Amino acid sequence: MQKSTTNTINTHYVEFSPGKDPFEKARRKGSRRWILKHIFHGSNKILFIIVLITTIVASNLTSIIFVLIGNAISDFLIGNYSALFFYTTIILLLSVGTPIMRLANYMLREVIAQRMERDCRREFYTNLLGKSQSFHEQQRIGDLTARVTDDVRMLNFLISPALSLIFESFTSLVVPLIYIIIFYPPQLIFAPLLFSILFLFSLRSYVRKLGPITGRLRGSFGMMNAILNETLTGIEVVKGTVQEAKEMEKYYSKAKWYRDAYIDQGRVQAKYLPILFLSISMTLAFAHAIILNFFNLMSIGEIIAYYGLIAQLRFPTFISIFVFAIIRLAITSSERLLELMNRETEIDENIKGIKKVIEGEIKFEGVSFLYPKSKKPVLKNISFTVQPGQTVAIVGTTGSGKSTLTKLISRLYDVNEGKILIDNIDIREYALESLRSQISFIEQDVFLFSDTIFNNISFGKTSSFEEIIQVANEAQANEFIMDFPNQYESEVGERGVQLSGGERQRIAIARAFLSDPKILILDDSTSAIDSNTEDKIQRAIRNILKDRTTLLITHRLSQIRWADLIIVLKKGEISAMGTHEDLLKSSEEYQKIFIKKFDVDISQLIKQKEDS
Amino acid sequence: MGIYVGLEAEEYDRVYRDKVLIKRIFHYFSPYNRLMAFVILFLTISSLTYSFVPVLVSTAINNLETNRNILYLFFLFSVILILNLFSWVFNYVTIRYASQVIANVVLDLRRDAGSAVLNHDLSFFDRNPIGKIVSRINTDSRDFGQTVDLTLQLISSLLVISFLLIIMSFINFTLTLITIITFPLFFVLALSFRKIARSKTLLGQRALASVNAYVKESFSGIQIAKTFRQEEKLYTSFNDVNTTSYKVNLRRAFVLNAIFPSLGIIQGIVLTLLLFYGGRGVLGNSISVGELSLFIQGLSYLFFPLLTLASFWPTFQTGMAASERIFALIDTLPLVIQKDNFKPSRLSGEIEFKNLSFRYEESKEVFQNFNLKIKSGESVAIVGHTGAGKSSLANLLARFYEFQEGDILIDEISIRNYDLMEYRKQVGIIPQTPFLWADTIENNIKYGNKKATRRDVNNALDSTSGSDWIKDLSRGLGTKTGERGSLISMGQRQLVVFARVLLENPAILILDEATASVDPFTETRIQDALQKTIEGRTSIIIAHRLWTVRHVDRIIVLDHGKIIEEGNHDELMTKGGMYAELYNTYFRHQSLEYIEKMKQLV
Repeated sequence: MQKSTTNTINTHYVEFSPGKDPFEKARRKGSRRWILKHIFHGSNKILFIIVLITTIVASNLTSIIFVLIGNAISDFLIGNYSALFFYTTIILLLSVGTPIMRLANYMLREVIAQRMERDCRREFYTNLLGKSQSFHEQQRIGDLTARVTDDVRMLNFLISPALSLIFESFTSLVVPLIYIIIFYPPQLIFAPLLFSILFLFSLRSYVRKLGPITGRLRGSFGMMNAILNETLTGIEVVKGTVQEAKEMEKYYSKAKWYRDAYIDQGRVQAKYLPILFLSISMTLAFAHAIILNFFNLMSIGEIIAYYGLIAQLRFPTFISIFVFAIIRLAITSSERLLELMNRETEIDENIKGIKKVIEGEIKFEGVSFLYPKSKKPVLKNISFTVQPGQTVAIVGTTGSGKSTLTKLISRLYDVNEGKILIDNIDIREYALESLRSQISFIEQDVFLFSDTIFNNISFGKTSSFEEIIQVANEAQANEFIMDFPNQYESEVGERGVQLSGGERQRIAIARAFLSDPKILILDDSTSAIDSNTEDKIQRAIRNILKDRTTLLITHRLSQIRWADLIIVLKKGEISAMGTHEDLLKSSEEYQKIFIKKFDVDISQLIKQKEDS
Repeated sequence: MGIYVGLEAEEYDRVYRDKVLIKRIFHYFSPYNRLMAFVILFLTISSLTYSFVPVLVSTAINNLETNRNILYLFFLFSVILILNLFSWVFNYVTIRYASQVIANVVLDLRRDAGSAVLNHDLSFFDRNPIGKIVSRINTDSRDFGQTVDLTLQLISSLLVISFLLIIMSFINFTLTLITIITFPLFFVLALSFRKIARSKTLLGQRALASVNAYVKESFSGIQIAKTFRQEEKLYTSFNDVNTTSYKVNLRRAFVLNAIFPSLGIIQGIVLTLLLFYGGRGVLGNSISVGELSLFIQGLSYLFFPLLTLASFWPTFQTGMAASERIFALIDTLPLVIQKDNFKPSRLSGEIEFKNLSFRYEESKEVFQNFNLKIKSGESVAIVGHTGAGKSSLANLLARFYEFQEGDILIDEISIRNYDLMEYRKQVGIIPQTPFLWADTIENNIKYGNKKATRRDVNNALDSTSGSDWIKDLSRGLGTKTGERGSLISMGQRQLVVFARVLLENPAILILDEATASVDPFTETRIQDALQKTIEGRTSIIIAHRLWTVRHVDRIIVLDHGKIIEEGNHDELMTKGGMYAELYNTYFRHQSLEYIEKMKQLV
């Protein structure tokens, strides 16, 4: 038992890995550890140390300036003319030097921050590439991109400004205090120390109160956007059903939430106590210094210097109003990233598995499947056999398990029960590379990259121009491609040519032709509005079916009609199976499709068959 | 309000004169006049007290240098302490009231903009992308609110600076001059930095946007990449895009981070000058130490507000532009206007298009002198090529657009004379792409008729497509449909919409048949639903299904906004005219003969 658990912890399956992953362990130890690992990764740690040192030095320089000003004023008061030139020169050097030091400091911290963004994004992206299809199907693209851009950017902000400002605040809280102890009567530390303590406590409660309100603001703003977007997208329905007032009310109630959160935010921000504490402490400190002056323990110059040092506490006081909010957001963001990256994926590359050219026989033996974290099986006890070169049509309503069934074959998911055999070998024994490279997928919503048509067709296999034209011809795509101004070099998508569903499908067929798979899975739900296009699609499909085992998910009665085997799926089970003729006789549901659609009766259907 | 760079103009945009714009803004603040007066009052006092503290500190130092009166000093401390306390309280009141006013003004703006948009006819939505409208209503109003908030801070900064400078100039004119001599330099530097920063930021945003686009694309196509084992290819391209973004954004960050230290250098120079001239003054007894300390202290009091000021102007412009855009949205008038508000009891559904002329835009005539009469209860299929005017006919009948000439008579009364809401309640519309709300199936069916009970919903389903398919879904009627209905299939969405319309029980049905393909089982149900929905009401169907054209009472063949042929399927087929040609183009592949001949086709 113990052995097996350690085993699962140490082997994290990935479908793709471009190299060694130095952050893997840190990812599992929580967001703080992971962030620290990134900060100290490679040459970052040297930069980080330099940033810390320069911050401390800059803060020291600022404090020295005030001490010197105090000394200068003391000297002026006793009429020391020669001091004037000396102090001006040195103050000039220091007060110009300090910003320059800061500049260097800022630049370096930016390098760390931007690297952080770059590295985390790369890590996240790579990690996602290695996740299985079952993972990806649960993700919404918008959510993924939000994480890759916004959340990763928050980690950048975490370094710059947040963490560096906090460190700067901390040094400008501590360094002046040290100077006070060194140069002036130590008891003067009383007021600033009191402030520091009060500051830390009230800051904590401030941050705690503000956090949830910021969340409410973001949340209600998001909802306002979502509601308005939906209402306006369905504006035809809103108007058609006369629901304008109700929709407005829906939006208005969320807008009110936003208002309330905004007012609450104002209330918390208004009550920011450290500002009050600071001004009181400054006054106390000033009074304290003056009392010491009466006891001849402090000169006027020193009072001014001391007051100047205390005034440095303003920086942490004002900066803290917003800095901690950033930290909070960044931690949440990193948790969102880790949450996905740490999600286990179950399918391995299986590099050592069987690599061979397959014949194309597919056999399902008692296959059951349920999606991870779901209780309801999508497929139940599915068994059938397909001979090499046969065409199988899978029909059923949405949710009957059609596409899940086909996805199991290329191991986009693994079965829970039973097994799938290709050429009588369990597909789990093949190397993933070998298995997938011999199975082609033409999905329902054909996805094309924003690239040229040429590159889209040759996506799976780099090829010559002649080959591309040949496969495009087979797929009945050459004709319409040649009609584009840039022909095969036309860009697909927003900036290029807009393709109809039928055209996209034919490009996908060409892409599949090129990789010449032994097994083809075609999720064919494209509809042709006109009969000419339909003819072309039919021809393209016929061409690609030849000499390969094909599983067709289709709405086309013509394809179903002529398939070697028709499998009717209902709620994850095979409700009928056989040829067209078999099903006309055995399945009432199947019959109904033809009878209703063409207003014929069963005898006519069977007769028609005999005619042809 | 002039020209705001980088903001794309929309059709409904208009340019308001500054005076008009300010007046409009004030109008929105007017319900909160009293609160606003409080805000301004407390803001002023708060700034005054804030700027008075350093003056008192310098007075104390002066006293220490000269007559050293401990009672007077004690008095000064008490005053400083009280001022500090007051300053904080006034500031508290300012922020609280200001946030109340701003929040309410923003809410009012959103309400007005939102209802203005909802009352527009559909031509408005054709012209303006939804994303932009939404961002105008929500984001622009937020930006406006932020600008108001910033304006208050600006006023406060200005007050502090002026108070301090006035007091300082009374104390020592030369030192004041030294302090303000760098102000212009400060502004020039801050503004020119902004300019560079803006262009760099734009580049940075673009680089990030391309990362975003690339990620979006690669995960949309992840299945393809996986099945072709091309992850490496994606990874390499991603690295390029990501590295470019890194470089560009680092450059941007360098520029942005240079501004504070640069301004710090100016501040350092001023400090040195003050120390030099002030020190000389102290040595020559022309200036007191307290006064010198005031100038040194004042430096940090002045430079921070200055920074706010310098960075404020562009933000102010953005905010004004935002308000201008919202007002433009509110002020655009809808085009569909009713002349009367006749409330019909139950329409019988007789429709007559009389000498109708209509165009979406100038010079592109859709209908000219169009005439068509549809009897009460008749079902009519409209067929024709794209652009023949099929959808326009439906849109006009739904009163989504305004026509230019002629008239549409419903039960012999002009469509313009009905109460629009009452009229639409009796018209059922099924658009080509069925739209569902992100809600349950039940609520989607009840959408037009909120009072309907669950039994009504079941009845509606039973009398369209049957309710057994609902039971097969994971949670029955409570199944969530997802954004726009994406969680259920296209065919199922159509079935839901049929039930929704049936529940409304309209006198007139306008149906734009979907072209998307549907699995054969669901297709059979849609046919049933259609058959039952058109029963007993006037139905106008933009037909794409062979089955539909074969079953309606009358087919109207449209071409370029004119009726070419009329009749039923068989009549028109034997005639061998335009309809027969359309049949061959659009319906042939849906026939049984086609399916049976498939084998020979290839």
